[in-house]
Amino acid sequence: MSTKLFAPHHWRRKKSIVSICVVAGLVGAGYAATTAAGKTGKTQDVTLNVSLFGDFGYHDLYKQYEASHPGITIKEDIQDYATHHSNLAKHLAVGGAADVEAIEVGFIAQFAAQPQQFVDLRQYGASSLKKRWLPWKYQQGVASNKAVIGLGTDVGSLALCYRRDLFKKAGLPTGRAAVSRLWPTWKRFIAAGQRFQAHAPKGVKFFDSGSNVYNAMIGQATPAYYDRNGKVIASSNPSVKAAWNLTMKGIAKGESAGFAAFSNDWNTGYKNGTFATVTCPAWMMGYIQGQAPNTAGKWDIADVPGDGGNWGGSYLAVPKQSQHQSEAADLVKFLTSPASEAAIFKQTGNLPSQPALLKSRAVVGFKNPFFNGAPVGKIFAASALKLRPQILGPHQGDIQQAASNAIQRVEQHKQSPAKSWAQFLKDVKAIG
Amino acid sequence: MSNGSAAVPAAAARRRGATRRLRRLDTKVSPYLYIAPFFVLFGIFGIFPLVYTAYVSLTDRNLLEPTSHFIGLANYAELFHDSYFWNAVENTLGIWVISTIPQLLLALAIAHLLNRSLRVRTFFRMSILLPQVTSLVAVALIFSQLFGYRYGLVNYVLNHVGIGNVNWEAGRLSSWVALSTMVTWRWVGYNALLYLASMQSIPEELYEAAAVDGARSWKQFVHVTIPMLRPTIIFTVIVSTIGGLQLFTEPYLFQPVKGAATGGSGRQYQTVSMYLYEKAFGSSQFKFGYASAIAWCLFLLIAVIAFVNFLLVRRIRAVDA
Amino acid sequence: MSVLAYRARPHARRIRRRTYRRAGPLTYLFLVLLAVGSAFPLYWSFVVASHDNSALGAYPPVLTPGGHLWSNIRRLFDAGIVNVDFWTALANSAIVAGVVTICVVFFSALAGFAFAKLDFRGRKTLLLVVIATMIVPVQLGVIPLYIEMRHFGWIDHLQAVIAPFVVSAFGVFLMRQYIVGAVPDELIDASRVDGCHTARVFWHVVLPAVRPVAAVLGLLTFMNTWNDFFWPLIVLTPRNPTVQVAVSTLAGAAYVPDYALILTGTFISILPLLVVFLVLGKQIIGGIMQGAVKG
Repeated sequence: MSTKLFAPHHWRRKKSIVSICVVAGLVGAGYAATTAAGKTGKTQDVTLNVSLFGDFGYHDLYKQYEASHPGITIKEDIQDYATHHSNLAKHLAVGGAADVEAIEVGFIAQFAAQPQQFVDLRQYGASSLKKRWLPWKYQQGVASNKAVIGLGTDVGSLALCYRRDLFKKAGLPTGRAAVSRLWPTWKRFIAAGQRFQAHAPKGVKFFDSGSNVYNAMIGQATPAYYDRNGKVIASSNPSVKAAWNLTMKGIAKGESAGFAAFSNDWNTGYKNGTFATVTCPAWMMGYIQGQAPNTAGKWDIADVPGDGGNWGGSYLAVPKQSQHQSEAADLVKFLTSPASEAAIFKQTGNLPSQPALLKSRAVVGFKNPFFNGAPVGKIFAASALKLRPQILGPHQGDIQQAASNAIQRVEQHKQSPAKSWAQFLKDVKAIG
Repeated sequence: MSNGSAAVPAAAARRRGATRRLRRLDTKVSPYLYIAPFFVLFGIFGIFPLVYTAYVSLTDRNLLEPTSHFIGLANYAELFHDSYFWNAVENTLGIWVISTIPQLLLALAIAHLLNRSLRVRTFFRMSILLPQVTSLVAVALIFSQLFGYRYGLVNYVLNHVGIGNVNWEAGRLSSWVALSTMVTWRWVGYNALLYLASMQSIPEELYEAAAVDGARSWKQFVHVTIPMLRPTIIFTVIVSTIGGLQLFTEPYLFQPVKGAATGGSGRQYQTVSMYLYEKAFGSSQFKFGYASAIAWCLFLLIAVIAFVNFLLVRRIRAVDA
Repeated sequence: MSVLAYRARPHARRIRRRTYRRAGPLTYLFLVLLAVGSAFPLYWSFVVASHDNSALGAYPPVLTPGGHLWSNIRRLFDAGIVNVDFWTALANSAIVAGVVTICVVFFSALAGFAFAKLDFRGRKTLLLVVIATMIVPVQLGVIPLYIEMRHFGWIDHLQAVIAPFVVSAFGVFLMRQYIVGAVPDELIDASRVDGCHTARVFWHVVLPAVRPVAAVLGLLTFMNTWNDFFWPLIVLTPRNPTVQVAVSTLAGAAYVPDYALILTGTFISILPLLVVFLVLGKQIIGGIMQGAVKG
């Protein structure tokens, strides 16, 4: 009647599986209950959530703010760059945004195109603070309806990092001033590249990536992809075509190492000295030091061709979804105050976006031994002050990506410059 | 007791009748109860997204803008003329063919080898699951390094053998090969283990009988193993088809620079899922309506191809009991 | 020879050794290469984790471990530096993966059994629906699912990463295919004749029979849930993270990712998985696969 299959030990084992499931379910439910209870907390205290895409060096500032504002607790979230911004878009659409959100310059225009999603910081006195910032930095945080949706944190600022030892081998001057004189314009930069390649050590190229050079050129064009009315003029703007042509010339003369910025090969290129120059924002110094510690002292920094430049930098914004708008706005003003930005500069080297600080002794006197003792503070500050930047538009990032892809296609020998440009124009049209 | 003796069979009959009715109820109702958890939970977490994306695909919804308009099938019409969409379809099919067919054959071979009497058998069987243990972030970093153009390990070896550098990520076929290697590496152990689990349930006697009939190893494999594995093979083919055509993570992480999800400078390895992601989240346009249309087209594509595969694999001779 | 006849003679085990299926040296070579290939990326991520940040891009590539592992691990668990509590992340992942695995295996066996061996109206259609649910692309379901999670108030809670995954079409389909082949109809009929209702058949006939595939499904589900990063990244924050969310916060030092730290994070996140894998895997794969089913 009863076979071996009905043996007691099977029963017990199956029973234990079920009980595990039940227990697990209870544990899960209990955990959820306690977490939910923990989150309500005291009602008069305010917790501000700050969401960033990297370490902005705010830890000490939070402590300072919490000490001077009892009842306010600050919690910080960090995600990687791409995830942070894509999550921000999702949260704005369906809810869940933090009280303070960091927005990088590559995305600021597209979020500024949706001013209804953010608190207009003019309500909290942003207009009176306007003079603190570099005019172009402040302007990028202003939407088309004049609402101020973000206040500037740091600026990338742009200089040109070069390898003194490689320049020497190729017979180029190595002193900072002499090198800066080599390339007052981008045309002269490409020409200097030809000189370099003529006697360069085997396998070494003049610059790392056509896209980086091109972006630096575009960054100085006023206007570039967008005109003042927000219309896309990439196809018709002669400055854009000129930048393209110059970049193509450099690539054709074999000056480009053909890397994609931040790719593995690019990182290795630093270590192995595969390229002699790179367009260099302030935060790139830390990057180079981390990637290629063996090249200490071999680098130096010269001025970027043209008039200044910028690569990177961020803003802090307050989404309208925030339950504590005025506290959040106040925190934003604090974190972007001159005192705060000065403190951050001392701590992380992020360049302040405020002229007063850029001219201060702390910044101007800052030298970096890794870069042959270059007065980096002075160089980057000058670059930020000189810049008359391009006008950013909502689909800036897409157009930039299309351009980078187009340049890469040429560097990878997949398309001729003419064909690649044609495809770029098609893409720009589709972006609208 | 004459009354009782007459009542007892009647009561017993009533009990038997009740038991039979319960039995019938059990046979009729319990299947639905058993599949209920799946359908209830799917109803909550699966139906709503499906219906939602179906509706959104008929609008011009943009993630950042508050309002959207009903535009009927305009998204689908635009998709039909979208050369980047068809490029993505081509990429997806190409990568799928290269990554799935060799992978499943390899998994079958591996399972067959592992089914033998081996020393340290458990060690080998477990080693093939290690790719599943390795986190995706690490996998992406490592394979990008392996297939790097100038400094990758694969090119390093190729250089020593005299072949020279291949720009894996830049080329179309080369990127497909690199990605297929990644996908195969990650999933071949998984599929091999599924085949192995099924092989374990094949009675030894069938092999012995075949051996007695004079069949050597290969014939045994073809005439005993494969027919008995038929349900599992159908399963792996369908699941690999679905998973392969939905491929997203591996090509996304293979890009030198993530975020935009263009799948290379010339979109050479952008799969349909990546194109979907680019339209919905990767570009600043956040064209959610358009992306939903892509999702439904992908659904159709997978359904058709999975069905075709199913018909093909079903032709494996069924087990004669 | 019918399968049933074989099963009716449980004492007729392997009388003869499998002399015709022993593995040759070529087989061993192939399997060793396979093992090396499977383990290499894992090994190499350990190598990178044991160096400082410059090792990942070195050329020729670095293949031997360095001495930085301990300092990297210490940095990882210093919540002040990395901004996320890795211990919490490990615990959360364990809870999530554990609950999901148990539920998936159980519910899949339940439904798989029904589709394989029970007769009911709409069986074929419903099975097709189950398979069709696998086709829905994950990336797009993200937004509506997120809306639902907000509705339930589950954002940043573990329910959000558990609930949508406690049933798996893949698991149901797998169980169904396996049960169709591995559980003979005669066995079920026999137990019914013995007077078992469906639940007893499930409990005493089917569950023991599906041990191999249940073990495999459980192991695979556990690993996949542990490694899942796309959805947790959207619905959880570093305040209540799983390990993959925690690792992604490591990736963000503004523009300068610290790869050594990231790979240390992934290495640590793999360790519990490896332990589960080695301890349970050995028992599950080794023991059960030795044909306990045929007992």
